[in-house]
Amino acid sequence: MLKTVLAFDDNEEDVAAGETTAVLASPAETIADCRARAEVYRLLCGAFVEEPGSEFIAALRTPAALAELAEAGLRFDTDFLDPPHEALIEALAIEYTQQFASSGGFPAVESVRLTGRYKQQPNFDTMQTYKRLGFVLRPGRFEVFADQLGVELMFVAELLERAANALEQGDAVTQRRLEKEIKRFWTQHLGLWVRGYSRLIERTSEHSFFREMARFLGGFAAEEIEAMGLRIEDRDQARLEVPKDDIRVEFNPNEPVCNGCMTDALSTTLSAPDNVRRLEEMRDANKLNDLR
Amino acid sequence: MEMPKVTRRTFLKVSATTGAAAAAAPRLLNAMETQLGGKDFGPVSGAERKAIPINCHVCNIQDGAIAYVENDRVVKLEGNPEHVSTRGRLCAKGNAGMWYSYDPDRILYPLKRVGARGEGKWKRITWDEALTELAAKLDAAIKEDPNTIMLKYGRNRSGGVIDRFMATLGSATVVNHTSVCESSKKIGMEPTWGPDIETPDFANAKYVLNFGSNILEAAYFHNPLSQRVTEGRVDNHMKIVTFDVRLSNTAGFSDEWVPVHPGTDGAVALAMGHVILREDLQDSEFIDTWTNVSVKELKEHYKQYTPEWASKISGVPVETIERVAREFATTKPATLFTYRGPAKHLYGSYNEKACMMLPIMTGNVEKKGGYCLPRGMGWPQPSPAPGKPKKASYLSHPSEYPLAGHKVSHLVPFWIADGKQKINVYITYQDNPVYTNPGSQAVWGKLFKDEKLIPYLVSMSPFMGEETALVDLILPDCPYLERWEPESMPNSLWPWLGIRQPVHKSLGESRENRIMMRDIIWKLDPDGKRGMKQFWNFKDGEDYMRQHFDNVPGLKEAGGLDFLKKHGVWPIYGKLDPKTGKVSDKTGREIQAEYGLFKKELSAADMAGTATDKDGTISKNGKAIGVKRNGKNYVGFPTGNRIINVRVDQWAEYGFNPMPTFKRIPWHETMKDDELVMVTFKLNVMKQSRTAAVKWLAEIAHSNPMWINQATADKIGVKTGDLVRVESRVGHLVTKAYVTEGIHPKTVAIPTGFGHWEYGRLATLKLKDKKSEASHGQDDPDLNNVWWEDKGVHPNNIIPVVADPIGGSQGWYDTVVKVTKAGPNDKYGDSQGDWDKHYAAYKETMRYAYNGDLHRKMHPEMASWAGPDSVKQKEGGGH
Repeated sequence: MLKTVLAFDDNEEDVAAGETTAVLASPAETIADCRARAEVYRLLCGAFVEEPGSEFIAALRTPAALAELAEAGLRFDTDFLDPPHEALIEALAIEYTQQFASSGGFPAVESVRLTGRYKQQPNFDTMQTYKRLGFVLRPGRFEVFADQLGVELMFVAELLERAANALEQGDAVTQRRLEKEIKRFWTQHLGLWVRGYSRLIERTSEHSFFREMARFLGGFAAEEIEAMGLRIEDRDQARLEVPKDDIRVEFNPNEPVCNGCMTDALSTTLSAPDNVRRLEEMRDANKLNDLR
Repeated sequence: MEMPKVTRRTFLKVSATTGAAAAAAPRLLNAMETQLGGKDFGPVSGAERKAIPINCHVCNIQDGAIAYVENDRVVKLEGNPEHVSTRGRLCAKGNAGMWYSYDPDRILYPLKRVGARGEGKWKRITWDEALTELAAKLDAAIKEDPNTIMLKYGRNRSGGVIDRFMATLGSATVVNHTSVCESSKKIGMEPTWGPDIETPDFANAKYVLNFGSNILEAAYFHNPLSQRVTEGRVDNHMKIVTFDVRLSNTAGFSDEWVPVHPGTDGAVALAMGHVILREDLQDSEFIDTWTNVSVKELKEHYKQYTPEWASKISGVPVETIERVAREFATTKPATLFTYRGPAKHLYGSYNEKACMMLPIMTGNVEKKGGYCLPRGMGWPQPSPAPGKPKKASYLSHPSEYPLAGHKVSHLVPFWIADGKQKINVYITYQDNPVYTNPGSQAVWGKLFKDEKLIPYLVSMSPFMGEETALVDLILPDCPYLERWEPESMPNSLWPWLGIRQPVHKSLGESRENRIMMRDIIWKLDPDGKRGMKQFWNFKDGEDYMRQHFDNVPGLKEAGGLDFLKKHGVWPIYGKLDPKTGKVSDKTGREIQAEYGLFKKELSAADMAGTATDKDGTISKNGKAIGVKRNGKNYVGFPTGNRIINVRVDQWAEYGFNPMPTFKRIPWHETMKDDELVMVTFKLNVMKQSRTAAVKWLAEIAHSNPMWINQATADKIGVKTGDLVRVESRVGHLVTKAYVTEGIHPKTVAIPTGFGHWEYGRLATLKLKDKKSEASHGQDDPDLNNVWWEDKGVHPNNIIPVVADPIGGSQGWYDTVVKVTKAGPNDKYGDSQGDWDKHYAAYKETMRYAYNGDLHRKMHPEMASWAGPDSVKQKEGGGH
């Protein structure tokens, strides 16, 4: 199924002949790194592009896979570990529908997350990017948007695979160009929303599979962004969440303020109204609470 | 030098006398949408956007629109300047229509219920799985009795597909929504003059009587007619007098707002008729020539309806009734418009009839500036078509309501509960009675949760409305911007044909209605051996449209469907002048409508093989095609005898008064001092149930405080913003008060379209008000700038069913309530209805049916009627 999501079009490659680049790690290390990363992207794609398939879940529930995932920090509950295979597939399909594919859920679609509506600019931008790099989007079990999370992840996986193949053939130019494409794609798409979105799904999912995979997605996204040396602000809830009640405090009460330049006369003239507290008062946590 | 002294008076005087000069002054700024003439440009790229003409379908006015598309995405909607009715303008709702397509709560895949009904647990399944399951249920139902398959639709603009589908299955159990809409208006009019609606020529009228229509905001046909009302008012200096319980925006725009007690418009209209006939102001020639009564008969009949009698009932002063009657009769041309105000009552059909008598008796029918017949166009259906189902359906044509040609859908839950007809599969299309009907959740919600009464419930819907949330299987329908549909609406004096066409690929796996119905039939009859598949022989929506339009005379020569795809509408009568906003012909003059349609003479070819009876009715092949009057053969009116039936003999057969009459609502007569009548109304940005999730519209209007008169509010100590408890015989609600002089003191009014408990995050604000729950909607970007906290309170739980025994309409404006200050245990938004009490109301309203025990009591003037047993049941008609 997953392989049909992004069908490969081999005609797009055009490598500038003779161009070379420096690769910091050894080619073998880079190839291994690309392939390992691609696998993680595919794993995450398998969790989010549509209801997790039977083979996918069976592969994940092998002792070796579970041990690896545990090592990565994923802590599945008994709802994932214990049920018979078919029952789990059914439960995950229902949970997937609740979270991602029915009214009232949280569609894993960049347009929805960033603009509040389906099929907005991110959809067309991703579609163009896929096309430019020789990919066409085809339905899997269900038809999905170009800016669906699983598709975006699959796209990066495919680029990584191409990068590894290129380097295997000694084509560092293509490999470097593809790395840039991946960075661009993260900067323009994934980096704008998946970290915040993963936190949302981690909180809202009622099944530990999606909760843990969302945690994994968030952690992996942060790692990738850091590893690629990118600075991207997540527009989907990645901003510091400030309780609304605290917004009335317009300065940091922990910052040193001397107040030494204000004379007594000025202080009297400019004395604040009763409902405005002095900085010293603001430092007192109890008094700060009184303000709320 | 002394400067002129400019006061407001001199200013107005100057403006009055220099109007011509002002009109001749250069106008450099014009509305962009008309100036650009159907073009639009991207603000960033500067490139011209792809313009695709459609017919709007946010509500049912069917405005001509253009969707501007960039990158397969609708970025803007505006009016189609080639559309003769709406002339390049769209209302606020129409401008916001793309929200339907991109709604984050839109259903994009078939969903199968996996929890209890209404629990909200679903599983996404493939189309093949969905169709296989549904086909098996339908197959079993067909084998037992095809009529156990029921389809109820709300807004059906499929152009005949739904009837074709049900006829293919062999079921006659097709139920519409019209009884909660305007069916008694239709039934008040149809037997009298043929069509179910009028087209007032507002633009050319000098005087307008408006009974209970808020045409400038909501009524049929809001956009096109409000343009003409404005033209008439501003350009033609016409006078408008509005009778309404509430100071609507239309009433506010009128010269006079006359508050009436709810349900008494008919009495006022009859009294005005009395004055006109008493003072010999009627058009005797028209009455004697074109109606089935004489002036003498009419005068005799109207004697009883004195202004004093009407004043006592309605609260309208005698002198107002007399003055307005004289003004209406002596100002030519004059017209009249009604909507739900008169019609949505126990005897709404009588009220409508009483109102339409005024333009009839003054001869204002089919005249320039008068009360005109609607103009529409038809189209052929694809061939072959399935025959009619073999067996009649009680739910479609209940025997107690033989005259209700538009059905009595709001009583269906009780009839199903009573076992009148068994249902195995219930399919719903663009309906939402759990929200829109009287009793709403308390009645329809209870019905749909009962798996014994409704074993299998299917919704064809793009949205999780209150009804869809209760079903077993959801088939994702397309919103209107992704559908093919034929259109024609009599929304101006120029007939037209139009289309809706997909402006982009449908999202997800949604399928338009005709395609999913075809796929169901193909699943049931894959090899055609059952004889079903032959009626669904089309490859896609466009192919179906070709079968409709490619052979319409005139359109065919213009290019058939290809012409409609390019222009959206046919014919094109002229060019929209961006300066005047009117359509002009090649000579530069505004196009003129054709009047006097009933006076068209039959040709010699038409007359060949006809017979003319003693009353002048001209028949051919057993069907009346015209009427002979003053030696000429006219086409006449589209009634059975081709004239206006002031006396509707068919009504008398069932013991109803065949002549214009009025029946006061019995429970209004016995109201106590502290009781009020609760009515509902629509705002300009809301329709029945499908707009609250449209963010641009919800931002404009999202809460619905109850209007209450200042004097009434003072009595109970209520101020604007206070919580009030509103209690009817079937339930209670708690809402906020809006105290105003703009409502009748014995009335309270609550706008509808608010207080959703389903229909997505924007309609319900569900994700916003449950911060501590798992949904954490405050993090959702859709809600980041939803600044409002109040979603309003829906009133329908506490509105009992009432059925007009003639027209079948719900009596929306008959509910008696008590309003008090909210108590300590009352919470804003409380809304409770009780099935048993609603059921009792249903039993009560059935007593008014022609075979009910109260029918005779309400019609003492029909004492000679031989009773219900004397009436031979006829098959129900209507559409």
